[in-house]
Amino acid sequence: MMKESKDEFTTSGNRENASSTVPNGVSRNQTKVLSLLQGLRLCQDAWAPKSPWDKHGAHAALWGRPSGSFLVVQGSLPQDQLLCVSVGDSGEPVKEFPIITTGTALHLTTSHLAFPDLFQLLHFYTLSRDVLPVCLLVPSWVYTLNNLPDHLVPLLGPKTWLCPSSDLQANSMTSETQDTAEMPETVLCTIQVTAASGALCFINPLYLQEHGDDWLTHSSSSPINRPIRRDKRLSTTRAWEGRGLKQRSLTLAEDNSSSFDHDRGSFEKSPVTPSTPGGVVLRRASNASTEDPLKRASIDSIQSPLPQSPHRVSWIEDKIWLNSSLLQPPCLELDSLSVSSIEEESEPASSPSPSLHSPRFHLADKMKNRLSAVGQALGGLVSPQRRLSKRVQEMAERKGGAFADAVRGFVEQTLTSGTAPGVTSTEMLQEVRSALTALREMLFDCPEIQSITDSVGDTPDFELDAMLELALHKVALKPVYAHLYVYLKTARRDDGTLQRLETNKSTLENRSLEELEGAAGAGVPDSSMMEKIQQRWTAMHEAYSPSKKVNTLLKVCKNIYHSMNANAKPGTVFGADDFLPCLTWVLLRSDAAILQVDTDYMMELLDPMLLQGEGGYYLTSLYAALYYISSFQPRLAKRQLSAEAHKSLSQWHRRRTLHGNQSRHSRNRRTIRRHGPAEGSSRTAEDGNCLNESKDSSSLTDVVPAIHSMQEAVQGLEEELEAVTEEEEGSAGPEQIQLTETLDLTSPERGDGE
Amino acid sequence: MSTRGTGRTNGSLPQTKICQFKLVLLGDMAVGKSSLVLRFVKGQFDEFQETTIGAAFLAQSVCLDDTTVKFEIWDTAGQERYHSLAPMYYRGAQAAIVVFDITKPETFERAKAWVKELQRQASPNIVIALAGNKADLADKRLVEYEEAQTYAEDTGLLFMETSAKTAMNVNELFLAIAKKMPKTDTQNPTHAARHRGVNLQDPDAQSSRSCCGN
Repeated sequence: MMKESKDEFTTSGNRENASSTVPNGVSRNQTKVLSLLQGLRLCQDAWAPKSPWDKHGAHAALWGRPSGSFLVVQGSLPQDQLLCVSVGDSGEPVKEFPIITTGTALHLTTSHLAFPDLFQLLHFYTLSRDVLPVCLLVPSWVYTLNNLPDHLVPLLGPKTWLCPSSDLQANSMTSETQDTAEMPETVLCTIQVTAASGALCFINPLYLQEHGDDWLTHSSSSPINRPIRRDKRLSTTRAWEGRGLKQRSLTLAEDNSSSFDHDRGSFEKSPVTPSTPGGVVLRRASNASTEDPLKRASIDSIQSPLPQSPHRVSWIEDKIWLNSSLLQPPCLELDSLSVSSIEEESEPASSPSPSLHSPRFHLADKMKNRLSAVGQALGGLVSPQRRLSKRVQEMAERKGGAFADAVRGFVEQTLTSGTAPGVTSTEMLQEVRSALTALREMLFDCPEIQSITDSVGDTPDFELDAMLELALHKVALKPVYAHLYVYLKTARRDDGTLQRLETNKSTLENRSLEELEGAAGAGVPDSSMMEKIQQRWTAMHEAYSPSKKVNTLLKVCKNIYHSMNANAKPGTVFGADDFLPCLTWVLLRSDAAILQVDTDYMMELLDPMLLQGEGGYYLTSLYAALYYISSFQPRLAKRQLSAEAHKSLSQWHRRRTLHGNQSRHSRNRRTIRRHGPAEGSSRTAEDGNCLNESKDSSSLTDVVPAIHSMQEAVQGLEEELEAVTEEEEGSAGPEQIQLTETLDLTSPERGDGE
Repeated sequence: MSTRGTGRTNGSLPQTKICQFKLVLLGDMAVGKSSLVLRFVKGQFDEFQETTIGAAFLAQSVCLDDTTVKFEIWDTAGQERYHSLAPMYYRGAQAAIVVFDITKPETFERAKAWVKELQRQASPNIVIALAGNKADLADKRLVEYEEAQTYAEDTGLLFMETSAKTAMNVNELFLAIAKKMPKTDTQNPTHAARHRGVNLQDPDAQSSRSCCGN
């Protein structure tokens, strides 16, 4: 068990080792903070005492303990266990919650949430109350159990479990712990980050000048000896280490990292990060970080496991150390852009907080230092991408450099490739894409680039790829994108898509959201929002980087969601059933032709990795909605083409309506309802078939036109039917409406239950 | 080159294996596709969630023994008129949940059509689960449990009746899918994405233009 826990945190990769600043093996000793799950496993006897203990004993032991303190004891049945929790209620200070085992899963009787084992169950309830009156409370020493000599661990019992954690630390984790306790007293903070109300705020240093920062350092010193209690999130225990940010602090200390690593390993210097309480954490400027061991210790604490997904500024809720990764510009965000990250238009190029340096204020030296530290810290946050971009730019301009040659070759080839006959625009773009990937690989292997990426620390590869990709767009795509656009546009014009889009757009553009089968409660963007969206579309069109384009697309989609929700019932959640019609509605009021070309550009050139996640999803939706518009069969044209068919159809429809009218509740209706959608599906299945089977399509080439014309015919009929239905609805009585509904293949009934 | 390969893999080596899967949601309009997923997502640890801009795309990780399974959940529009767009969404998906409403037999028929379509033209190894949603409305039931169960057995699907409203079987459904997913090779997201990226670049846009694009 101990061994396993060690391994889990030695994740430093070869890339670190390759850089001379972090010698081999250092990572072996580094963090020693256990996850809560590991901690719970290690001291099970402490919180789940064996048989002399029963619920009465537990009640007695829990009496008067802080609310959330708990023990697990044997229940009345041998296979059942009882979770006893101190709830701090004067009437009933300790409550019992039976834990039921069903098959291989455990759950509390009153809850639907099941867990594979007791540890995970308890882990969950330290984070979320669910059915409990309070979250469970775990002593902070659980995270440092591996520092206890092995032979002591089994001796830990319920008494220790429930005793204030400082006792254990004082007894068994001697001198180092005291260092830790002293540390915060000496901290001179530069930036204050608080999450008191769940929001990130920077505390005005002027306030600190007035009122001092004792209150800050004071509050941060106490928690170490307090049991840990978090209501919402517990970053330390996050099991998913895939986006390891643990070594991000290297960025802060990169200039002095050789002096910094000999202190790694001394976990004892590093307080359990999540215990930083009161919503306040401190951060120092990077140049101060290695000067004395106490300060170094705080750097170490940045190394404690952090939440791994680099996408959420909302981590600040975890009261963790603000970390460089948190404020990366949105362009670095990959598969999933967070709401918070795309709200801000943070451009890496913008200089950090210029207003702070306003000369109007005469600031004490101390404050000036702090302010410049703020500036430096913020500057440091955005620098890796800037540094990379700058370096890549330099390399691309360097005479005789291999990369410069490769880029020049690529640009020249791309600019002339259009002239080759028989090359489709798609082929051309695919070649561009593979060239981009090759150039990126080339960069990655470049020592100059590696020195920068190494300094970024343990950044996941896909993130580094995204950074490089962005840097590359500037040197490689920017010179060619206008050219590529010409080709894409020509191709779309030649295949008739742009024309169809325009024609169908004018047919469809007056359709309301309901006519597009959008949700009843969903709103559409009002004129000011549409204006905003148009501006974003323009920005999207003008960007040469496909990643930036997709980021802009996500902003538009977010605007659309916003409008959908504007007048909806609170709590309504809109999925694709509602979003796609709304997106279509917006596209019908936008320049669909330009959007089509933009979409093609993104679809072909976006880093394949980004096609996976949220960006890929909304790009697919954009593509799909445009396809829907361009392939729409205009009813009017159909009518003109087959007035005959129309007439007979409406006769048929009227006949069926009258017939059905007499036997509304008879089997007939059921039959129609049962068969209708199925037929529709098999029809559209064909549709999908020819849409998607690109691999097999060669053998189908002969068949495709036939299928196609068949589909056209069917779709034409369907539109006819729809038209008739809509006409009928105008004059029909209520009974008839219900009947037409059952016949209308294109608009299945919409229920309201879930 | 080769050193880089290992370096990169180790650089992001997680303590647990990470498998990342694309899961697509299919089913008629208003059968509760998004409610089902939302219920699943809300019932999980917050820190495994990734904030997304809306409910049509959600990402959620679940822990399964030593593996973290990350689902990227793609919702589709259930309206018949948007049916032909579905292949764009389900291409490359490793899992699918086909949802129907137990109070509406026509949605079950539609679900069957989806299953058929998926089996014919989605990824060959796609894991398909059938969910009979709105199981809380038992008094309005029009699709018998046995009927759907038999169908699912015959067709080789996972099947559960679920209720997004009461959370019945919601986690179970996703866990069952997670268990059925092959736990290979997606450990390095970069790698996996690259593999799938190739698929996504299949010129299916072209084929759509050439065969249906009128």
